[in-house]
Amino acid sequence: MASTPQTASPSPAVLPAKTRNFGSIEVRSDQIISLEPGLLGFTQYHRYVLIEHHQEAPFLWLQCLDKSDLAFVVIDPRYLLSDYQPGSPAQIMLDLGAESPEDLKFLVILTIPPGKPQDMTANLMGPVVINLRTRQGRQLVVEAPHYSHKHRVLPG
Amino acid sequence: MLILTRKSGEGLFIGDDIRITILEIRGKQIRLGIEAPTTVVVLREEIYRRIQEENLQAAGTRDIDVTEIAQLWRQE
Repeated sequence: MASTPQTASPSPAVLPAKTRNFGSIEVRSDQIISLEPGLLGFTQYHRYVLIEHHQEAPFLWLQCLDKSDLAFVVIDPRYLLSDYQPGSPAQIMLDLGAESPEDLKFLVILTIPPGKPQDMTANLMGPVVINLRTRQGRQLVVEAPHYSHKHRVLPG
Repeated sequence: MLILTRKSGEGLFIGDDIRITILEIRGKQIRLGIEAPTTVVVLREEIYRRIQEENLQAAGTRDIDVTEIAQLWRQE
C-alpha cells in the first residue's frame, strides 16, 4: 500500500515479519498500521500491514504483525457501493485526527465461507478506517439499517 | 460479577477515566451516561457481539478462496 513519504527523515527501518499467506516478508516501519483499539475479538493485537493479494484485483490482506496467523481480506468499499458513507465524515476526521478527508482510507472486511467464495459477504457495519498520514486506524461501528454486517457481494 | 446498587443521578467509575452515570430510570428502561476515552469501545452488547462474531468468522477466510474470487474479479 502507498504510504505517506516521510520527508527529511532517514530511511525507515525494515523489520522482518511472518505472514499467514506470504511466508516471511520485510515490512518498513512506515508501512505499519496501528489499530487502537484493535479489531473487536482481537483487541490485544494492534500492528498490521496491508498486502496486495494480486496486482489485478482489489483485494488486500490486512495482516497482523503481532500474530502471524491472523489476517483479514479487505477491500475498498467503493468497489462495492459507490456512495458508502459510514457515519459523519467530520466526526470520523476528528476521531482519527485527520486534517483532510483524503487522509482517510476506508476498508471493509470480507468473510468468505470456506469453499464457497460465491457466498462472500462484506461487513459494512464494521469498516476499518485508517489515517494514512499517522497510520493510526480503528474499526468503526455503523448502526445504520441499510449497512449489514453480512452484505452479500456476489449474486446468489 | 461485581454487583452495585445505584439511584438515579448517581454514578460509578471504572478506573480513572471511565465514568458511568445513571441518568434516568423509567419502568424497565434505564438511561446511562458513559464518559470514556475514545480508545475504549463502548457498544450495546448485541452490536458488540455481532461485530466480534463477524471478525472471528472473517479471520477464517482462506487464501485459496480469495485467489478464486480474485480470478472471478479479473474475468469480469
